[in-house]
Amino acid sequence: MIWQLDLVLLSLVVICAIASITVKDLLSSAIILGAYSFLMCLIWAEMGAVDVAFTEATVGAGVSTIFFVAAIYHTTRRTKD
Amino acid sequence: MEFIIAKYNYWIYIILMMIGLYAMIAKNNLAKKVVGMTIFQTAVILFFISTAAKKGATIPIVMGDPHLHGHAIPGTVHAIQYVNPLPHVLMLTAIVVMVATFGVALALVIMIFRRYGTLEEDEIIEIRKKAVV
Amino acid sequence: MINKHDDIIIETLSRLLTPFIQAFGLYVLCLGHYSPGGGFQGGVLVAASFILLVIAYDIKEAKSRLTEKWNIVLNSAGVFVYAGIGLLCLILGANFLDYSVLSKILPVGPEEARALGILGVEIGVEITVAACLVSIFLDLASRGEHEEALK
Repeated sequence: MIWQLDLVLLSLVVICAIASITVKDLLSSAIILGAYSFLMCLIWAEMGAVDVAFTEATVGAGVSTIFFVAAIYHTTRRTKD
Repeated sequence: MEFIIAKYNYWIYIILMMIGLYAMIAKNNLAKKVVGMTIFQTAVILFFISTAAKKGATIPIVMGDPHLHGHAIPGTVHAIQYVNPLPHVLMLTAIVVMVATFGVALALVIMIFRRYGTLEEDEIIEIRKKAVV
Repeated sequence: MINKHDDIIIETLSRLLTPFIQAFGLYVLCLGHYSPGGGFQGGVLVAASFILLVIAYDIKEAKSRLTEKWNIVLNSAGVFVYAGIGLLCLILGANFLDYSVLSKILPVGPEEARALGILGVEIGVEITVAACLVSIFLDLASRGEHEEALK
């Protein structure tokens, strides 16, 4: 564990988490959630959990984002909060 | 002060978990609630991976000896040199459950939108009140 | 016939990339014993190649390669492979998923039978995960009607 890299990645993760629930557009929220998943994957790879990081990179950042975009394509992008 | 700085992973995990809980409870949009659920689950996984980490340890893959058919030489593997792999294996199952619940939640969101025409929680409650009266 | 949405660069690139993504999925499956990877991750990669086809082309193009009937068959076949290997171990007189007893019917020793047994289980997991994720995406992207997706 390198604590400088750890702190930068963890603060970026918190920023992405806050941004994805406060942004006023659901499509932006989906893309920021994908960025959040990928930063989380980098943290786990840096901690030595390469297996979990690989799974998160394929599932969380790849397939979940596609599912979310497909779902809001058939609903609406509008959100009030 | 030493206690706060030395365990920064756990503080970030608590912050992320509270962000997810706030989004699940207080947000008005149903898709935002699903986003909050995903953040909550990844925060729990971050906690478990943090318990496995060690200072000065490497990834838990033991390089075997080619003369012994890939097995390591007995007595040369020290557990202190490797990260604990048990929480990693537990969290692999948690990620699989995460994508399954995510798909089911999105299917429910699409069905609610087809029925009511909106994703806002208060507008759905208004429509349901009018339908009852 | 070229529609307004069609882009020849995206279509050609996705058609060329699809076999390489599937080959990488099989590589991840086969190296799952010694390195990061395994059946679930390889299955997600194989499913991602089909999702790329659906996004770049149309739902009909992807269905001409993997029809819905075959999708359902593969969904069940993976679970059948997984449970079949476990039950085979039960029949041969050991515990459920105790692969070392497979050396009675395979021409290898107990250690190699263990490696082959876990490989068979991972193949079953890969088939089920790939088929399952493709069907979840098709249902989400076409509202369950399977007519057209994201166009």
